[in-house]
Amino acid sequence: MDVSILLFYGLATIIVFFALAVVISDNPIYSALYLAITMVTLAFVYFLLKAFFIAGVQLIVYAGAVMVLFVMVMMMFDLKKEKNSFSKGKFANFIKVGSAGWLCGLIFASIMLSKGMLPLANTNTPQAVADTSTKELAILLYTDYIFAFELLGLLLLLIAVGAVAVSRIKGGTHE
Amino acid sequence: MGADLFEVSVNLVKMIIIFVMMVQLVPLLVWVERRGSAFIQNRLGPNRVGPLGLTQLLADAVKFIFKEEFVPEKTKRFLFYAAPVVSLVPAAIAFGAIPLSLPINIEQFEMFGSTFGPYRFAFQSFEVGIGIVFVLGISSLGAYSMLMAGWSSNNKYSLLGALRSCAQMISYELALGLSIVGILLLYGTFDFATMIDAQQGPLTFMLLGKEVSVPFLPNWGIFYQPLGAILFFTAVFAETNRTPFDLPEAEAELVAGYHTEYSGLKMNMFYIGEYGHMMAASALMAVFYFGGYDIPFLSPDSVRETFLGWGLSANKAAIATAFLFHVSMFAKILFFLWVFIWVRWTIPRFRYDQLMDLGWKTMLPWALANTIITAIVIYIMRTNWS
Repeated sequence: MDVSILLFYGLATIIVFFALAVVISDNPIYSALYLAITMVTLAFVYFLLKAFFIAGVQLIVYAGAVMVLFVMVMMMFDLKKEKNSFSKGKFANFIKVGSAGWLCGLIFASIMLSKGMLPLANTNTPQAVADTSTKELAILLYTDYIFAFELLGLLLLLIAVGAVAVSRIKGGTHE
Repeated sequence: MGADLFEVSVNLVKMIIIFVMMVQLVPLLVWVERRGSAFIQNRLGPNRVGPLGLTQLLADAVKFIFKEEFVPEKTKRFLFYAAPVVSLVPAAIAFGAIPLSLPINIEQFEMFGSTFGPYRFAFQSFEVGIGIVFVLGISSLGAYSMLMAGWSSNNKYSLLGALRSCAQMISYELALGLSIVGILLLYGTFDFATMIDAQQGPLTFMLLGKEVSVPFLPNWGIFYQPLGAILFFTAVFAETNRTPFDLPEAEAELVAGYHTEYSGLKMNMFYIGEYGHMMAASALMAVFYFGGYDIPFLSPDSVRETFLGWGLSANKAAIATAFLFHVSMFAKILFFLWVFIWVRWTIPRFRYDQLMDLGWKTMLPWALANTIITAIVIYIMRTNWS
């Protein structure tokens, strides 16, 4: 067996395990840390697929900045009230079980329905994307997908403006 | 890893040697820091144990190992133990991805009755095509170690120190990332080796489509990106939490910040992590702006020819050349490490709001301006106007 296949199954197991732990853990800070581990492992899966630039960006943006912010903000708040309201009570439990069942059903149904629709791929990993992939990615991004790219920029601007607007509202759970 | 057993084992040994090199440099740096600070402050520093106080390192190491391992009550046990490891690992991985010298090309040779080779051994733990992005991404994971240490210690000083350090690291990561965009535009690559290759020889650049050469200067990045170099080095100080940006540890306000509750070898691992980050930062500074392993006015080929002229075999000449250039790289790294220490004992700490002002209102706009101006200038200079 190829080493990369072995590595993939190892990494995939880690991802699934910690992704589950994110949902199951009742401490939000642990959840966020598990999510960080999931992100880092996902970056290494990208490395395995030879998508080096995406892997690096995943490390910098998600694991290095976004999740650090999440963890930091959670540590700043006293989350006892939220913890109780999310992890106790019949309604919350019903929602949890219901959404988990729904997701399982969706996955099962999609596997069942899509079986036989697509032929299995012959190649293992896309070998063409080597060192030049960053440049090709950039060229594609700024020519063919420029409209979507600009729209995403606009979305980020909206989020920034929205965050400032929300932060000026008084009240809420943390007054 | 390699095609056969010889290559795999050499690569493994190389990884271990570079890691051990990084770890073993730490006690020396601690000694330099203590003696250097004493020198700067007109004191003597530790000079009692051994010649020049050098065996003080040994005494410190023994103390670190045999100290009582104290874990306060109501800590989050797992995170408390994991934090020092998380601090050490990213620094080690980041340092391992930076080339410390020329790759060694080994021709075919015979050993134990069978032929091996040819091989190409890179002078680094492992090669990553997207070097810079990888190193920045990995070293940004160091923030977790502080958060974990600060939160799991169940200590207000620790938590405050961790939160401050994290805010600081996130703020300065932006300036850090933007300050090297200029150098990326200039060399058009993420790869360290290609970048160092582009810095060999005398200063040569395109002036309005014509090639201009300045024979008395080396072709180093600092001459193209002086502002970028200053911004990068400043941001790196903040990322490694060194004075004047040592708010996470601010002794006067927070006891010792996020590692208040740590002692013994766990504390030592935080030290190794911090100095490891400093080493990676110094190596990056050398690679981006000071030609990496380049020795001015001396090309690797001519050095190899000289060694061959002395009667060394081709393989030995390649190894000797690589080590000579490694000395050059290492001298640069040591110089920047000394600058780290020098600045720490010269400039006082910033206040928190001053720090944020500097990061967001000064360094970020300057880095952005540097990026845009570099892009425009490169476009104008490289277009053939005639």
